Amino acid sequence: MRTNVEDMKTNIKDKKTSIEDKKTNIEASKVLEISELDYFIENFQILRKINLSISNGEFVGLIGPNGAGKTTLLKCINGINKGKGQISINNMKLENLSNKKIARGVALMHQNTNVSFPLPAIDVVLAGRYPYLGFAAGESINDYRIARKYMKYTSTSQFEKKPITTVSGGERQRIFFAKILTQETNIILLDEPTSNLDIAHEEQIFRYCSELCADGKTVVAAVHDLKIASRYCSRLILLKDGGIIADGRVDEVLTSKNLSEAYGVNALVYRNRITGLLDFYIPGIDNKKNKERVHIIGGGGSASGVIRQLFEKGYELSAGVLSDGDSDLNCAEVFEIKCAVNKPFSEIEDEAFNENIKYIKEAEITILCNMPFGIYNLRNLEAAKQASKLIIIEDESPEGRDFTDGKALEIYNQLKKNAIITTYARLHEVV
Amino acid sequence: MKYGDGSPLGIWGRFSNFSSLMENRPHICPHISIFLRREIQMSKKHDKEKMKGSVYYKLRLVIPVMLTVLTAMIVLATSVGAVSVPFLETVKIILKNWGLLKNISFTEGWESIIFYVRFPRVVTTVIVGAALGTSGAVMQGMFRNPMADPGILGVSSGASLGAVIAIYLGVFTKNIFYMPIFASAGALLAAFIVFMLSSRDSKIPVMNMILSGMVVSTFLGAITTAILSFIRSDQVKQFLFWTVGNLNGTRWEDVKIATFPVIICIFVLLFFSRDLNTMMLGEEEAQAVGLNPSRTRKLILLFSSILTAAAVSVSGTISFVGLIVPHIMRLLIGPDHRILIPASALGGAIFLLLCDLIGRTIVAPGELGVGIITSIIGAPYFLFLLNRARKEGVTL
Repeated sequence: MRTNVEDMKTNIKDKKTSIEDKKTNIEASKVLEISELDYFIENFQILRKINLSISNGEFVGLIGPNGAGKTTLLKCINGINKGKGQISINNMKLENLSNKKIARGVALMHQNTNVSFPLPAIDVVLAGRYPYLGFAAGESINDYRIARKYMKYTSTSQFEKKPITTVSGGERQRIFFAKILTQETNIILLDEPTSNLDIAHEEQIFRYCSELCADGKTVVAAVHDLKIASRYCSRLILLKDGGIIADGRVDEVLTSKNLSEAYGVNALVYRNRITGLLDFYIPGIDNKKNKERVHIIGGGGSASGVIRQLFEKGYELSAGVLSDGDSDLNCAEVFEIKCAVNKPFSEIEDEAFNENIKYIKEAEITILCNMPFGIYNLRNLEAAKQASKLIIIEDESPEGRDFTDGKALEIYNQLKKNAIITTYARLHEVV
Repeated sequence: MKYGDGSPLGIWGRFSNFSSLMENRPHICPHISIFLRREIQMSKKHDKEKMKGSVYYKLRLVIPVMLTVLTAMIVLATSVGAVSVPFLETVKIILKNWGLLKNISFTEGWESIIFYVRFPRVVTTVIVGAALGTSGAVMQGMFRNPMADPGILGVSSGASLGAVIAIYLGVFTKNIFYMPIFASAGALLAAFIVFMLSSRDSKIPVMNMILSGMVVSTFLGAITTAILSFIRSDQVKQFLFWTVGNLNGTRWEDVKIATFPVIICIFVLLFFSRDLNTMMLGEEEAQAVGLNPSRTRKLILLFSSILTAAAVSVSGTISFVGLIVPHIMRLLIGPDHRILIPASALGGAIFLLLCDLIGRTIVAPGELGVGIITSIIGAPYFLFLLNRARKEGVTL
């Protein structure tokens, strides 16, 4: 009896190790390797020294500005563009493979999916079976089954007999997505797969890709939308001028520094508090620098919009006193402005108060945002008295925002006497 | 056994193992297997509803219908003329001369009129029409351009130059074969020049090809005109007769010249129909599923220029057949080349027979060249097509 149990145990152990072996096998296999790839059109170098190694199960996003070489790189991988250097797919060198053999390993969805002849959608999808059919062979019932399966998967079954010229751009893109799935390859290349899709179908395509990657397939997609790339891709590759600037995990690649380098703008990267995802903000900064210092008193989310607006105008900003955990503080961090910080849910301490006073005295303008007043931030109002020029944003009546039984209102009304009163929407007129 | 699976016999192995191939894949080349009971049985075994509306069902419907219409047209065109012969008698005469019927006698003169004058002309018309229809369908599909027709390769202008040289040298009166030989030589030469001009780094960009075709056509046209300007006026008339497309006086020798290459080329082009379907999605899309567009295009061009040259060499240049027949067929049965090519071949034959019949009878006892009739019907249709395309917002 006992030996039996032992046997079982070892059996289980064996099974476990075999599963682990399998896992490591999957992890170990590099399905796509590119080394020293250069690509020229006439004398222009489009790609320079691309070195890549992609394993199965990875969802790689190719990002970069227009003309960075994303499409060219994808076309090199499936052999349409023949560059200098080594590319191997599934451990086979690309130059040794026939077109059909490549097409059995790599499927590419082009950016432009225009078709000028009214082929029925099912025939377009069936084109994905081409690499599996002999010369002049017709599709068998099995090919039809496979095509229909993927049309169902991409919810395009209803267009089966509809001419491809009569469906909308988004529907066409989904039909072409079904086509590349019908190719049943382990590497899938997508070139802007969602350029014509609405947000629901955009998400859908990326979700499909994630599912495919979970099944051990590899997806490499050129993506414009950094937000969606950061959300779904397991790895990002940032291209600029045909070279790789950054390659790695999403948070390694999507840094303000990398994006600024690639796109040539000041991109701000932050984690969106609401969704918990990476988000981007590219401020449209005016060329003329405003040298004036502006201090912003806010809290409870009232200051964020003001900070962004003034940041774009090029003012030098400071803010305070914001309590830790406030979304305004998050905003201040994104825009990298000086800020007096206090512990959350507690009265403003002397240190923060003094820092706030310091900023206010340094600033030419102080703005008091449309914020609620409680006993915790009462000292912010007191500090505002020190302002040389005070602007009060009043979108809602202060009575409704006062939670101090009139104490705050009293100070507020005093401040109002020497201040410019405006609303958020008309702030630009005053500043 | 599949192509490219590393079998030692390679492509030839596929043909030697044809029967086993048919078993594994019942739908290989529908054109061959369409009338094979086996395929029909296999389809029945499968879910019939699932294949419904697919090309195989269409083929089984469309091809027999068109064949019937074509047969009827052949009988009609053979019977009608200055001397009208009853349909049944016409069929009997043909069958008798083919050795299928014996011990039958006909009214004096009918036999020679039917079998040695009209019937060879009808057969030539069928072959020329089929050739032009097929090559038009193939060209339009390959160039993904509805304006493409066999003339795009400069084949027609090459054939014209060959013909005018033959007339100039006066050789065409010596032997009936000289004219077709000169014409097809000119046609193939023109196609070759276009081909060489447009291929670059083993690639053939579509735009290059269309432009080279235009350039070569213009150039050869200029030479033709130059030769015409210093030949005798009766020779000019002879040439004019040829250029408007003329099926008058075709004999069994013409049939012999054209039949073999035309049938071979149509048959070969049928094998490319799925490749053409794939190429309709666009060159890069085709390449992404493993098709070699340049190689396929070269082969298709080769066969369609031989096809056109063979047709033009016996009939002279006949315009618009290659342009409008595939369009009509595409409207009727859809753009799938597996059915479009055979349908365009049959449709081209039917259309040209009809035009020839009109040309022979409308001004009887005189005769209008078939090329005139095709253009008179073709030009308005083409305008209609342009107009419709504009309304639909399609760029032709």
